Amino acid sequence: MFSGLGDRPSASGYRRPIFLLLIFQAVPAGAVAQSSIGAQVMGIVTRASPAIANRNLTEGYLTQPMLMGSVSTADGHFALEGMLDLEGLTLERGELDAGISGEGYVDRRHPHTYLHELVATATGAFAATRYSAALGKGFVPFGTDDPMVRPFEKYPINHHISQIVERLLATVAVRNGPFLIEGALFNGDEPESPSDLPNSNRLWDSWSARTTLLPTSYLEMQGSVARVKSPELAAGGGLDQRKVSISARAESAASMDSRDAHYYVLAEWARSSDYDGRDRAFSFNAALAEGELSRGRVALAGRFERTERPEEERLANPFRTKRPATDFNILGRTLWNITSARASVRTFQRGTMTFTPFVEVEASHVTARATGSVFNPRAFYGSNTLWSTTVGVSFAVGMIHRRAGQYGAASRESGEMSMAGM
Amino acid sequence: MPRSVARLTSITLATLFAFASTSTITACDNKAIDAGGDSTITQVSRALNTEGRGVVADRYTAELWVVGNVAYTTTWGSRTVDGVRSVGNAIKIWNVAGATPALVDSVIVSDATTLGDIQATDDEKLLVVATEFAPGSIVVYDIANPLKPQLVSRFSSANTAPGVHTATAAVVNGKLYAFLCVDPGVDQPAKLVIVDFSNASAPVEVFSQAMGNPFVHDVFVRDGILMVALWNDGMSIFDIGGGGAGGTISNPKQLGNVKTVGGKVHNVWWFRDNANGTKRFAFVGEEGPGSIGSTSVGDIHVVDVSDLTNPHEVSFYNVPAAGTHNFSVDEDRGVLFAAYYNGGVRAINVRGDIGRCDATVKSDDGRCDLKKMGREVGHALTDTGIAVFIWGVFSIGTKLYASDMLNGLWRIETVQ
Repeated sequence: MFSGLGDRPSASGYRRPIFLLLIFQAVPAGAVAQSSIGAQVMGIVTRASPAIANRNLTEGYLTQPMLMGSVSTADGHFALEGMLDLEGLTLERGELDAGISGEGYVDRRHPHTYLHELVATATGAFAATRYSAALGKGFVPFGTDDPMVRPFEKYPINHHISQIVERLLATVAVRNGPFLIEGALFNGDEPESPSDLPNSNRLWDSWSARTTLLPTSYLEMQGSVARVKSPELAAGGGLDQRKVSISARAESAASMDSRDAHYYVLAEWARSSDYDGRDRAFSFNAALAEGELSRGRVALAGRFERTERPEEERLANPFRTKRPATDFNILGRTLWNITSARASVRTFQRGTMTFTPFVEVEASHVTARATGSVFNPRAFYGSNTLWSTTVGVSFAVGMIHRRAGQYGAASRESGEMSMAGM
Repeated sequence: MPRSVARLTSITLATLFAFASTSTITACDNKAIDAGGDSTITQVSRALNTEGRGVVADRYTAELWVVGNVAYTTTWGSRTVDGVRSVGNAIKIWNVAGATPALVDSVIVSDATTLGDIQATDDEKLLVVATEFAPGSIVVYDIANPLKPQLVSRFSSANTAPGVHTATAAVVNGKLYAFLCVDPGVDQPAKLVIVDFSNASAPVEVFSQAMGNPFVHDVFVRDGILMVALWNDGMSIFDIGGGGAGGTISNPKQLGNVKTVGGKVHNVWWFRDNANGTKRFAFVGEEGPGSIGSTSVGDIHVVDVSDLTNPHEVSFYNVPAAGTHNFSVDEDRGVLFAAYYNGGVRAINVRGDIGRCDATVKSDDGRCDLKKMGREVGHALTDTGIAVFIWGVFSIGTKLYASDMLNGLWRIETVQ
């Protein structure tokens, strides 16, 4: 829920990022009725076995270092949300994550851009209908929540199939009762580096639409489509993507009593197809189910994912691929079946500040999807089954965004944000 | 590209097969892959005899070039065999005097993961190799002893940094140049770079220009005319000293452009028919999205360039479920040999007016279909019993060499 300053300790004790200071200064002080600020970071150690060529790797990171905040006017008509992602400083080599690929990284998750989100929203209402328009850089209304706001630290490998993030977008949303419709125009190009900005010649060349049904306060179902122009060739001229996603999500209502049990479940299916003009060149499917059950300080989570990914030509560094590519070919497709489990215990809480140690274990089974492909998983990794164990601690303070990319009329009435530890 | 040895051998063989060519126009019993004297009569595609294969198992094979009895193949990407990952930084040197190419040596190029292109200069004194990815460069070897290339120089500049995809050596107005097709990089477009190779030990960059949408993949140079494969921007023709438009190497003047059907213009060959000296047609290779090792897509497009300022596509050639890659044209026999990845190798009769045909063999958009015209005169590596993925071909005399990404180097006889 949007929480005013009165809902949490004063933010004055926290170091605000520069951009939020600028935001606060840009909005007349008297008009600001609600604001929030929060931060999170995780310190982790991951052991991948094997990681590559039958070799095990153990590495440590500071991952998902985020600063986030929001301001809105007294009447709630105008809001500004922002997130800074500092992974460009801490994850330059990428984070070991078997099966994941995107933005020039493979089997390592890439760092996101520093300016992860900065979206201004205007919201209005007509009778029982709420409507809004949003403009800025952020989460495209397509697919499911960003993995960063879901239980697992390790991203699922369907990230680039099931979400579209870090785009300059213009969205509209209309909600009436349980029905929510969103549409957006955005730039198709994927970021090329943490400091990259959307290409000016690519603005509004792509679109998405999402319909969500919210029959109860704890259940939602969505279906969405997107047409993304040349995401992998920022200059344009590359293959286009057509995406589709359906999902169902349920989550128990947030409770002020942390001893209450809380559950969350998500099931999704998505497809991303690469098109050369009107000809479909490649298609990649992803199915995922995950859930978390928590009571008191303890949470247990599980996830199963079945995702196809393209194999691309790797550089001398086997965890990197050429960006931009030099042609439209791939090396084949692989199918990944990944089972994950997680346990976490919130061991410390003072005010909104929390420390939550956790452990995650993943078993990934990978096979080549087509015969004749020059990518042989067993030869490359040394095994078709890859294990990953991660131990870490999550630190959070202030107001943490729990749902991403739901602007204005698309925001849920509850559960959008939470104070760390709740 | 001119190849003196290949041409002399071909001329000799063409003479030898002149009778066969003119007497077997219907070609069911044609013993030579030869266009003959006519171009409009349906011919039958026959299986060419595969003589032998030189195996490369540690790396994926890429481009090839042949000088006399020595062949060079480059390597591509990375391949993991028995837990050992090898990148495409090797030039394999082959003795191809016998039916089965024999690997005799190899050269490792430092700071390279793919060697996408290789070519000997017309005088066969130098070998030019393109390196990818960053830091892109071209490496030049002295091949006075073809089996023992000696490093002469390595050229790179800020413009070649993202990677040199192909390098074409050609003489223009008496001077040797290399035409470098440079990969796009982050925040920098693909480029064409021209390097003066008059002094091979000290190459000098004389031209650089962003071109290609999004890639520039290859060029063809002949008689002071430069043809550039610009992917979605089609094929452009420049005067670089032979077109009469005032263009020079350092200041090319564009004469014309054609956007062939489907775009994705990957390579070009401007055909000079040595039977009559005509240079009416250019062959454009289209490289669509495929899965290396298993699938490919893309046609050969025939462009009428009789008016260099008004090039236009007149015909095409398609192989179902396969796509073309690099070409080699026997300009004496009038036969285009095309690497067709998973489709093996195809030989196409390109002599005569291949832009004119009956309505019955035209596509819906009015282009002539060379396949329906019976222009395919031969095929190879289509039933080897193992999967093939043919990157390039090189025609010399009656022999055709084919580089196979998965298996190595094949030798094929084109005359039975």
